[in-house]
Amino acid sequence: MIVPYTHVMLLGAIVFLMGMICTLTRRNLIMIIVGLEIMLNAAAIVFVGAGLQFQQIEGQVMALFIVAVAAAEVSVGLAMVVCIYRQRHSIDPQCIENSPRVPDPKAASEPLTLNP
Amino acid sequence: MTDWILFIPELYTLAAGGVFFFFCLGRGRPGRDYAAAMMLSAAGLVLTVCTAGFEGLVFEGVYQVDLYSQVFKALIYSGFFLTVCLCADLSGVDKARHSEFYLLLCLSTLAMMLLASSVHLLTIYISLEISSYSLYVLVYFRRGYPKGAAPAFQYFVFGAASSAVMLFGFALVYGAFGTAHMAELMGQVPARINEPVVFTGFVLSLSGFFFKLAVFPFHLWAPDAYEAAPHQVSAYIATASKVAAIAILVRMIALTGGQSDRVAWVLIFVSVASMTAGNLAAMAQKDIKRLLAFSSVAHAGYVMIGILSANAMGYTGAIFYGLSLMVMKFTCFMVVVKAADGGRNIKTDALAGLHQRAPVLALALLLALFGLAGIPPTIGFTAKLLVFKAAMEQGLLWLVIIAMLNVVISLYYYLGVLKAAYFTAPASQPRAIAVSLPFRLLALAMIVFMVAGGLYPRYMTALAGAMTAGLLP
Repeated sequence: MIVPYTHVMLLGAIVFLMGMICTLTRRNLIMIIVGLEIMLNAAAIVFVGAGLQFQQIEGQVMALFIVAVAAAEVSVGLAMVVCIYRQRHSIDPQCIENSPRVPDPKAASEPLTLNP
Repeated sequence: MTDWILFIPELYTLAAGGVFFFFCLGRGRPGRDYAAAMMLSAAGLVLTVCTAGFEGLVFEGVYQVDLYSQVFKALIYSGFFLTVCLCADLSGVDKARHSEFYLLLCLSTLAMMLLASSVHLLTIYISLEISSYSLYVLVYFRRGYPKGAAPAFQYFVFGAASSAVMLFGFALVYGAFGTAHMAELMGQVPARINEPVVFTGFVLSLSGFFFKLAVFPFHLWAPDAYEAAPHQVSAYIATASKVAAIAILVRMIALTGGQSDRVAWVLIFVSVASMTAGNLAAMAQKDIKRLLAFSSVAHAGYVMIGILSANAMGYTGAIFYGLSLMVMKFTCFMVVVKAADGGRNIKTDALAGLHQRAPVLALALLLALFGLAGIPPTIGFTAKLLVFKAAMEQGLLWLVIIAMLNVVISLYYYLGVLKAAYFTAPASQPRAIAVSLPFRLLALAMIVFMVAGGLYPRYMTALAGAMTAGLLP
């Protein structure tokens, strides 16, 4: 292995921290999901590096599974973002709390209230 | 060659999910969906109980079927069955979506069963993710909730972030040992747990399970998700999901062999913090589901006491605590579902006059709240006694004292709910709550179980003790 495992681990840690900072600080729901993806990929980097260090195929298998799980995660997350955008016409996390709900024209019954 | 017989309960659950998938394709018929869900979940519960004696390894050894996993599967399935029992009045969910609702519940149950048997980091990660994704969507199923999808998204972001942290921890552990199999790790981890990389990896990898159990730094999703979800989903998250989290957390902590003081200190910190944060926050809650969410956080702290003791008594106590928590929380949610007409959220004072409106529900609520507060002779008292005894064995007297102080704090809000149910006069003429005969029997069964578990816990503790035999070195 040309690149030592420590360097791979360091790269993984840096990418992971960048993803975490992205998740915590961005004010856009889609960028939050991108941050989550970056965190998952950082773990995949470390898995591949570790697998190479031990000359095992297991690390790369893990990375493949992580890619598949990440795709599922994005699909769930983006579906929710679409729902939120339809309800509020905004994907800013702070606007979501305050902006009024856009009424759904298809909803037949009256909405339930928090405090009846 | 895989021994498929061992895998039958999971295959059955997958097939049950398939049935609901086909129901999704057609027009929604709530009555049929409910009947099918009742039958399938009852049959599945019988099946998991019948297969409790199975033992063996499946899929090249990454999937371990033993007494520990099979009993947990039966517990998870009973959580699923009990949740379906509450679905007769599923007015919190759009009528066209009932079959999807049951499909997702089935898939989540399946994933939790896989989680109970997983002994490989990859299977743990994947089954944890599958169970969470179903729950994220289920929380969003609430019809016409004013806050819309925001709480579900918050739940999703918390869950995805904590599972990413967990995955990074897994990567570090794998990088340190060159194996991701728990049986191989179990021999190597205790000797090297104090190395910085191993310690960091191990603690990070606990975060995903802490999220599932709603332990302190990862508990922030709980009140909003409980409040926003349909009542049945909140009940499911509070029962089956917590049991699965306890199952995997006990397995993970057993990896260290209880040898590491550093890991123990981390666990003591999260335990004390989640007890205190949960109890103090619960005192201020008016909405009964938020109150139950914060009480879940507090109870996660008590469970952690048993787990961090890392002795036979502690694991037994944690498993027993999971069982008792399931029964008590389910009973509370049963009352919430019945008292809240039309799937609305109710405040504590909406329970006023419950002892006149539905005496059997009021009695069940009384016993469940006494159990949650740890008053004998209920099952909750026995569970607390077991975990506290385990901590005493490890010489953690001060931790037990902190926990006892927390129990006293928790009495305040549990008795507040009881006061509303028994002593507060309702503002208007009370309307009787219609409780059907099967529901009455269910409530009576819960009452009997809570008292019997408090008076004769011997069989259950013996079973929990037998389950932990494989976990200790």
